[in-house]
This record gives sequence, C-alpha cells and structure tokens, in this order.
Amino acid sequence: MSDVPTRDADGMIIFRPKPSQPPPPNTTGVIGWLRFNLFNGIFSTLATLIGLAALVYVFLAFYDWAIVKGVWEAQNRQECRLGKEWGTCWAGVEFWFSGFIYGRYPAPEIWRINLAALILVLWMAPLWIPRVTAKSVIGLSAVLVFPFLAGYMFLGGERNLFMVAVVPVAMVWFAATMVHVLLCVLTGHGLGRWIIHLTGFSNRSDRAARYPLMAAAAVAWLLVLFAIRDWTLVEVGTNRWGGLFLTTVISGIGIASALPSGIVLALGRRSKMPIIRILCIGFIELFRSVPLITILFMATTMFPLFLPEGLVFNKLASAIVAVCLFAAAYMAETVRGGLQAIPKGQYEAAEAVGLGYWKVMGLIVLPQALKLMIPNIVGNFIGLFKDTTLVSIIGLYDLLGMVKAVSHDPQWIGLHHEPLFTAALIFFLACFAMSKYSQYLERKLGAGDRR
Amino acid sequence: MAIDTITEQEQLKSAVSDEVVVTMVSVNKWFGDFHVLKDIDLTVHKGERVVICGPSGSGKSTLIRCINRLEEHQRGDIVINGVVLDNNLKNIDTIRRDVGMVFQSFNLFPHLSVLENCTLAPIWVRNMSKREAEEVAMEYLTRVKIPEQAAKYPGQLSGGQQQRVAIARSLCMNPQIMLFDEPTSALDPEMISEVLDVMVELADTGMTMLCVTHEMGFAKRVADRVIFMDFGEIVEQNTPNEFFDNPQLDRTKLFLSQILAH
Repeated sequence: MSDVPTRDADGMIIFRPKPSQPPPPNTTGVIGWLRFNLFNGIFSTLATLIGLAALVYVFLAFYDWAIVKGVWEAQNRQECRLGKEWGTCWAGVEFWFSGFIYGRYPAPEIWRINLAALILVLWMAPLWIPRVTAKSVIGLSAVLVFPFLAGYMFLGGERNLFMVAVVPVAMVWFAATMVHVLLCVLTGHGLGRWIIHLTGFSNRSDRAARYPLMAAAAVAWLLVLFAIRDWTLVEVGTNRWGGLFLTTVISGIGIASALPSGIVLALGRRSKMPIIRILCIGFIELFRSVPLITILFMATTMFPLFLPEGLVFNKLASAIVAVCLFAAAYMAETVRGGLQAIPKGQYEAAEAVGLGYWKVMGLIVLPQALKLMIPNIVGNFIGLFKDTTLVSIIGLYDLLGMVKAVSHDPQWIGLHHEPLFTAALIFFLACFAMSKYSQYLERKLGAGDRR
Repeated sequence: MAIDTITEQEQLKSAVSDEVVVTMVSVNKWFGDFHVLKDIDLTVHKGERVVICGPSGSGKSTLIRCINRLEEHQRGDIVINGVVLDNNLKNIDTIRRDVGMVFQSFNLFPHLSVLENCTLAPIWVRNMSKREAEEVAMEYLTRVKIPEQAAKYPGQLSGGQQQRVAIARSLCMNPQIMLFDEPTSALDPEMISEVLDVMVELADTGMTMLCVTHEMGFAKRVADRVIFMDFGEIVEQNTPNEFFDNPQLDRTKLFLSQILAH
C-alpha cells in the first residue's frame, strides 16, 4: 500500500479496509494431523500406543473366536465341539435364524410378515421422495391406517364386522398412495388433481371438487369389499408370534403412540387447569417411578384379576398397553424439557397476532421444541426398542426370548454365546441406524435457521 | 426548523379523529404484592400517536401489554375499539386481531422464513388463502424495504432487519392499533434509524400508535402526545412541544434532564 493517503474530491481521506490475509501455514496434511493428534508429546504417544495395542488384542481375540474357531456346518452342538476344539457354533445360529426373526410363526405363513413389512416400507418411502405432495397425509395414514391391515395380516382368521369394513379401507388407501406417488413422480400432479381433472371438476369450487374424490374412494372401497368378501387368512395366535417380528410390533406401537401421548401429557402438565395438571403429573410420576418390568407383571398378572370373569385379556395386548403407558410418561418429560427451552417471547408474539392456544402450540412452540429435542426423542425410541426385551420375562418370545430358547433345544443344548452375540448384533444395527438417522435429521432441520 | 416542525405537527394532528379507540378507566394491576399500575386513565383517539416514556420499572411496558391482554389487569375497565377487554376469550381474540404489537426482542419465529412469519397469522387467524396472504406480505415487506429477504430465516438477518420484519408481520394482520414496546432498545446504534424511519412512515399513513420508547427525537417528530410515567402512574402528559420545552412537574424535568443530558 502507498503511504500517501488517497483523497476524494472534497479532500477527505478515503478509508480503505485492509484486505483479508490467508491464515498462517499450519501443520496440515496427514503427517501433521498424526503428529498433532496422536503423538503430541510423551503422554499422548504412550496413550496412542496402549490404545492401539488394546484394539489389536480385542480384534485378534474376536477373530480367533468368531472366524478361526467358527463352525458353520453341523447337525448339533456336539458336532460343533468335535469339529474343532470347542468350536464356535454358528451352525446353531444358522439353524435357528428364522426363529430369531419370526419366532414360532408357522413357516408357510411367514410371507404375510414379509409382505406387511414391504407394504410399510412402500407406504413410508414416499416421505423421502421430494416430488411427492400431501406427505403429511401419507405419513399419518401409515401410522393410523396401516396397523389395521398389518393386524389382520399377522393374526388372520375370521374377520368381524369392523375388520370387514376397515381392511378394504387400508387396501384402497395403500393402492391410492402408490398410484399417487407414481403420478407425482411421473407427471408432477397428485392423484387427487388427476381425478378432479379427469371428471371435469377442475373449474368448480374447492368444495365441489371434493365430490369426485369421495365418490372414487367409495366406489373403490365397495369393489374391494366385494372382491375380498370370501378371502380369509389362516389364523395365527399371538402365542406363536415371536423374534425380531414381535420386538418390532411391540416397540413400533410403543414408538408410534409415545410421541402424541407424550405431547398431550407434557401440555397437560403445563396446563393452567389444576385438575388436568394434577392428573398428568400423577400419571407421569407414577409410571416413571416404577420399573417397566413391574408394570409388565402388573399388566399381565394383576390386571386380569380386576376384569369381570370370562373376559380374558390377551397377554401380548396387555404388554403392549403397558409399554405404551410407560413410553408416554418418559416421552412427556422429554417433550416438557423442549417446551421449557422455548422463550416466553415466542408465546407472546404468537398470542399477540391472535393465535389461540392450540395454534400457538402446534404452529410455533411444538415445531421448535420437538426439533430441539430430536436427539432425546430418538434416544427415548432407542431405549424403548431395547426395553421391549423385558417382555421375554413375562413369557413372550421376543428376539431375546427366542435367543434364550435355543439353549433349551435338545439338539443345541447349552448354546448361549453365539445366539446372544447375534441378537446383540441385530440390536446394534437397528439402534445405530436410528441414531445415525436422528443425527442426519438434526443437521437437515437445523440448516435453515441458525440463531 | 421550529416552524417546520410545528406545521408538520399541526398537519399530523388534523389526522386525529374524534373516534375513541382505546379507553382505560382507573386500571390497576399488581404483580404479586407489587402495585405496577395505579389508577391509569387513558383515552386514545383514532389516528393518534402516543409516546410513553419513563424510567425502567415505571409500568410503561405493562400498560401497553394490558391493551392486548399479554398482561391481565385486575381492576378497572379497558375498552378497545368498542370491545370490552375481560375474561371472555372471544373478546380477547377480537382485540388481538385488531391490535398489532412489536417487541423489544423482535420475537420472530425462528423456524419459519421471513415470508412465512408474515403469512402465518393471516392464513390461520384471518383464513386468508396462501397466495393472497403472500401477496399482502410482500406488499408490507416492500414497505419496510426488505422484500429481497423474504426467503431467508430470521437468524440470517441483522437486528434492524428483524425488527422491520416484525413490524411487517404485525401489519399483515391489518391492525387498527399498533403497540411498540421499546422497539429500538435492543438494536445497535446504526440500525436504530432504519427502524425509526419505518415507524415514521407508518405514522404518516395515519395508523394509531402507542410507543414505549426513549427515542425523544422520534417523539418530537411524530407524537401527538407524550406521556411520562413513574411508579405506575401517569405523571404528566402533553403535546411534545409543551412536554419537552415546558414540563409542569419537577419529576418530569429531572427525567428529561437525565435522558437529554448526553
């Protein structure tokens, strides 16, 4: 820069900010990183070496146990032992693997579980496709409508009047969702728009445009209702449900119900109405201070004592209700934490523009609070998923129950470690996926509005 | 200069009509045992611009927050636009639709874009269609001179820009009365004027305004009346010229000498 200052027409010195400089050259690159992070002084070097040694030791020990000593083909545990000295019996895991996943569900009917899982995936997948419209309807229906279809597919048997009506609803809904998604991706317009367009209602008012939609839905429903009137699936009692399938059913229902009921309880706890507040506090504190296993025992053994004679409550249903109540209480406290993090000014600004209580909550407070709480909410879900293993203690054969059952099988008697390792791996994969997804969600939702 | 100001004020005053929009009759309020508002009597006419000043803790914010029921008064009567402000939720809703408010800390909704901040209330409270609400919002964002920021989120804007968005957000509800609660107190000096400019322009449109502020230049230029509060009471009120040049009470004089000292 020149020492003589530049002056403008009036003789004023013109201020020029200094140009920004690059940062001083740092210890960049691989070598620099290693030196800085791993071998930065005597203590750091020592810690690195000890850590490395421990890692290598654990890996070698595991490799020896799982791979070197692994026996993959055997008829029973005895063969595993004889084949290699105290061989690791993966053959038993292989033999029982279907049981880990489906429990004691009859083999010829297993397609029903797979199909229901596929339907759920197809139902939810559009939520991640950018061009699809009406995502909230799709997401809500996956939670509210799909369970009826899945419930019948899993249970089978004669349909009562309610199921006769509701199963076709779910089928039509699913089919409509799929057609809607295809149309959205291919043409950019949803199913509703197409029906309105093809029936010539596109120039009519919004209200009138609803009629062809309702008519189409009713016709489709009646057709399906008629088409499947004689269709029945073989009945499979809940006592045959088990494995990862059962774990997923219990925790899935628990997770789906926990968030809405938790929100309601958290709002109730902060309500200005004393009775509602006391009821909510009582419920939350009661269920949070009692271990889940106690609630499960109460639900399956004590609760039936209070029921009128002859009314038998399904064990699985009681367990699910217990898990739902427990999860709701925990979720309520998580949501309350999020609500408390929202500044008072947000409520005031929302009220000042004329929004009522539910709109203030639904449009302003909860979206912010839930976003803040994503890590905790997903943490809750992960905890719940793992907690469902407790139902194995009340005699349900969930994944853990099935794994333990292996060791009672005469063929594979005493086989504990390998099945337990497999179960741990399955749980790890599921929970790790949830955790990673929550981190992704956090980044994605947080991107727009850094404060 | 002086003559200019006077004629300007005369001009502005002519916009004030006889119609009364805010009536407060012996309003009292307590926070616990603390008596914040003591027998407040206040009448504001349509199109009138009132500036309220006073030391902190004097009850000026509480006074205007009582007008849209962010605070509940315990005794006395408040009537806004002919609607009695009481526990009737319907009345409160009616009043809040017609009364806009701008806060010291902006209180924009951080999870919504600037445009969504502005369209939220028209869509959900006035049942406006999305397209119509967006048109209205863009019109007001243009008026506060930041239409180009519509797609951004509040966290990406400067304080002055945020406060202007907050003003636009209130205006989108087409309010009859605007309340300002120290709108420039949280701003850097360089941003105060951009917000005050918008407020002056708003005053020129004939909006009824109640402003709690310490910007005495703004009060002199725009206000029809300046109210001085202390200890929860209205100590003195007068036209700006009289108020600043010829205060009647020693307390007012002391306050003015303190805030105008530097």
